[in-house]
Amino acid sequence: MRTRDSNKEEIVKQKAIELLVEKGIEGFSMNRLAKESKISVATLYIYYSDKDDLVRKIGIEIGKNFFAEMAKDFSPSMSFKEGLRKQWENRIRYTQQNPLEVRCWELLTHSSYSESILEQSLLDFKITMGTFFKNAVEKKELVPVSKEVFWSVAYGPLYSLLHFERDGKNFGGGPFKLSQKTTDEAFELVLKALTP
Amino acid sequence: METDFNNILIFGTNIKTENDKQIISKLLNTNPEIEQWNIDLEDIDSVLRIESQTLNATQIIKIITEQDFKCSELTE
Repeated sequence: MRTRDSNKEEIVKQKAIELLVEKGIEGFSMNRLAKESKISVATLYIYYSDKDDLVRKIGIEIGKNFFAEMAKDFSPSMSFKEGLRKQWENRIRYTQQNPLEVRCWELLTHSSYSESILEQSLLDFKITMGTFFKNAVEKKELVPVSKEVFWSVAYGPLYSLLHFERDGKNFGGGPFKLSQKTTDEAFELVLKALTP
Repeated sequence: METDFNNILIFGTNIKTENDKQIISKLLNTNPEIEQWNIDLEDIDSVLRIESQTLNATQIIKIITEQDFKCSELTE
């Protein structure tokens, strides 16, 4: 009788994320994953019907965890400044604690898997953020811009800083660590740009 | 619904092309005892995955090898 071995499943998921980041989607193979996870190919195919199924499920799981973290201590009724600050904190914390997941997420959401992954993981958070956005505009705390412009201005600077931190280097080649002071400085500029 | 892991059979085959796949598709799609199946043509072993409550590995191997393909059960 076969049973679900959740310990083994976790190892497979972790290895899959590592391999996807290392090899890219094209270079990722089920055989290699089985080998690296020290399980048989048969066991892997019992968990996942094929590579597509695996990539999609891994993506959806990362997405669900990511958006659950984003929603932590956040409410759409917060003032714009308070709410955006919380989003920054949540994004920084998740990225620092889950560097591989974030790289994998970036990879998958810029691939052909993007739509099916987001469809399954973004749902609730999309509604929450939509309400937050609408409230902020109504309260005249946010300039009415398109969602794409909002996202780019609100989070673009943050993700650029997080990339500096991931690479550990500043422009001069010296070490870079995202400090509270740097975060605050960037946050204030973002706020200035988005506030009427 | 959660898939029952005990009803899944896994095989290595030499089914490599879409054309090959077409041949077995006809047989597997019309077999009422097969609930679901798929084949991973991208994989080296061209893994064939079958979900069936009633069929066993030998019966599946017979269906596939009768079409002149190789098919062997992959074990855990």
